[in-house]
Amino acid sequence: MNMVVCVKRVPDTSESEVHIDGSGKGIDTSRLSFGINECDNYAVEEAIQKKEALGGNVTVISLGDKQSDEVIRMALAKGGDDAIRLEDEAFAGSDAVAVAKALAAAVKDVEWDIVFTGALTDDDGYAAVPVALGEILGVPFATYVKKLEVMDDGKKVKVGRELEGGLMEMVEMTTPCVLGIQTGINEPRYASFKGIKQAARKEITIKSASDLGLDASDCGEAGSWAALEQFTPPVVGEMAEILEGEPDETAGKLAGILKEKGLV
Amino acid sequence: MFELTEPLKMLEQALRPYCEKELSAKVEPLEKGEVAVLDIMRDFDRAFGINAMVSGALHEMIERKCRREREGIEEKGSLQEVLAGEVGEAMDPLLIFIVMKELCRVSPSFALSLGAHIGLCGQTILAKGTSDQIENYALPLFSFEKLGCWALTEPESGSDAFALSTTAVPDGDFYVLNGSKTFITNAPCADIFVVYAKIDREDSKADKRMIHPFVLERDNEGLSVGKPMHKMGMRGSPTGQIFLSDARVHRDQLLGKREKTSRSQAQETLTSEREENAAMAWGIIERCLEESIKYAVERKQFGMRLIEFQLIQEKIARMYVHLENVRNLAFKQAWAMREGRSNILDACAAKFYAAAAAVEVGMEAIQLMGGYGYIEEQQVERLTRDAKLLMIGGGTSEIQLLNIAKELVRDKGLSLSLTGGLRN
Repeated sequence: MNMVVCVKRVPDTSESEVHIDGSGKGIDTSRLSFGINECDNYAVEEAIQKKEALGGNVTVISLGDKQSDEVIRMALAKGGDDAIRLEDEAFAGSDAVAVAKALAAAVKDVEWDIVFTGALTDDDGYAAVPVALGEILGVPFATYVKKLEVMDDGKKVKVGRELEGGLMEMVEMTTPCVLGIQTGINEPRYASFKGIKQAARKEITIKSASDLGLDASDCGEAGSWAALEQFTPPVVGEMAEILEGEPDETAGKLAGILKEKGLV
Repeated sequence: MFELTEPLKMLEQALRPYCEKELSAKVEPLEKGEVAVLDIMRDFDRAFGINAMVSGALHEMIERKCRREREGIEEKGSLQEVLAGEVGEAMDPLLIFIVMKELCRVSPSFALSLGAHIGLCGQTILAKGTSDQIENYALPLFSFEKLGCWALTEPESGSDAFALSTTAVPDGDFYVLNGSKTFITNAPCADIFVVYAKIDREDSKADKRMIHPFVLERDNEGLSVGKPMHKMGMRGSPTGQIFLSDARVHRDQLLGKREKTSRSQAQETLTSEREENAAMAWGIIERCLEESIKYAVERKQFGMRLIEFQLIQEKIARMYVHLENVRNLAFKQAWAMREGRSNILDACAAKFYAAAAAVEVGMEAIQLMGGYGYIEEQQVERLTRDAKLLMIGGGTSEIQLLNIAKELVRDKGLSLSLTGGLRN
């Protein structure tokens, strides 16, 4: 069973303050650390587990500049076999649909039964790439996948989709298909020392928009359905109260408010 | 050399989340002795496949040694030369430094135990053992089936390590070992012991008795261990005594199986331990600096963030200078080890500086955080207690200074004694 797994390098904003950059359309990334998108990490693990259980090949694909090689190589170190990176200035400003167009063009040259992506990304959070990719490829797709069982020698899969309130929706679909993987579906491994050593020697194929057979109207803003206007910080409105002061002071104020409103 | 290669960067990136998540969760139980250090090593091996990486090469090494032994060819060369090939690659100094640095950001204790297990005990057996000794004693260490320790220091010979008094008296096919070892990392829980003793033949003069390493197992008759010592720091790494009371050891347990001068080998192992200290200090300093910056940016006093006070800025800047120096020293040491250009002078200088810097940075981090730095919840308190060992273990800072002076005047035809004065 052959698999493709799409990964994205994203900034780690969990422990850092996020500042909007001068253009108003991005964030200042100069002091942020980057890594693999969390859901993608689970997608990589799921693809590798399925390869280990059923045999086959795992191709890692990422759209991004050279710095994305670090997340690609880590996926290779964990067990990925081949890698493709999509890089072109034309891809700048792509929304989820334009990204999906590029990914769809890239997987056309690869043998695959399942394309794995993360259910959503930590930065943009649209959760639209797996859906758009499934549509463009014309194959069944499912998102928020937290269970995956391969059936009938890989001809079908049974997937569990995590819904609100912990409900699990079980869906059967034929392959080829696209699955947007949710965190928690497995326990991602660490890249082994040996895997790291081997990954360093593997080649990453670089493909531009023209290599993929895409023209300008498919890429970037032109190929997108949505265009980013600007980022704005949260505005202090009438319904919001920002508590100022030291943690012990603000905690006391917060406790008072919650008590006053009868919430605790 | 001033930038890590791609695989080493990846190694750092892979180790960081493991240390922050998995190892970090085990620090407290490890410090309290509620979890065995070998179990954490096994977990570490499961995560990163250390055994899987080296086992093939180790078996090849055993076969190679076996052939050479049959042909009567003696293996010569430094530790690195002997460990050539895949094992050597896995034992690449900079790779080991990155592992030690990352582990020390979270648990210097664990790094210390792992270093004694693989670096001191395992490497000594690999470098000096015969093929069957490697098979019997080193393989179980690299598969993390058994825990190893390396015992040189004695109650009466600490800094003066080679004045040891443990004796090995030949008795037919056996040696009878008597003496005791102390401050031995992993000893209370160890399964495999590399123990140095002086072979005491009736006809040999006291000053001509050669120091040899022997390999003993925990159930060896006459070998016993003390309870873990209560220490200022490195509490997650069990340290203790080893007692040898008429311990009968078969001559097959003499490392290398042939009596010869082995002082140079112990010295070589000590030098590599000194070099690794820079990597340990690097991890401690890096973490203390990060914690200090985080605290100084978040904490407000007198309506200002701490970082706005220039005395705090000075502390942070000084910490960074130490970090930069220690990191450069570690790179230089790793390069020298790779190139087979390690020397006592630079190893001692690096250890002296790195150890002092780690303690200073740790103390400054505590000071910067005030009361919060002094309590256990902040890591800097533990890291600083751990850092103090770097000024003592593997040779005290004072011994490093004496060695430095001794080396500096060696080419002037002077031989300085560590006890002061001139020998000639």
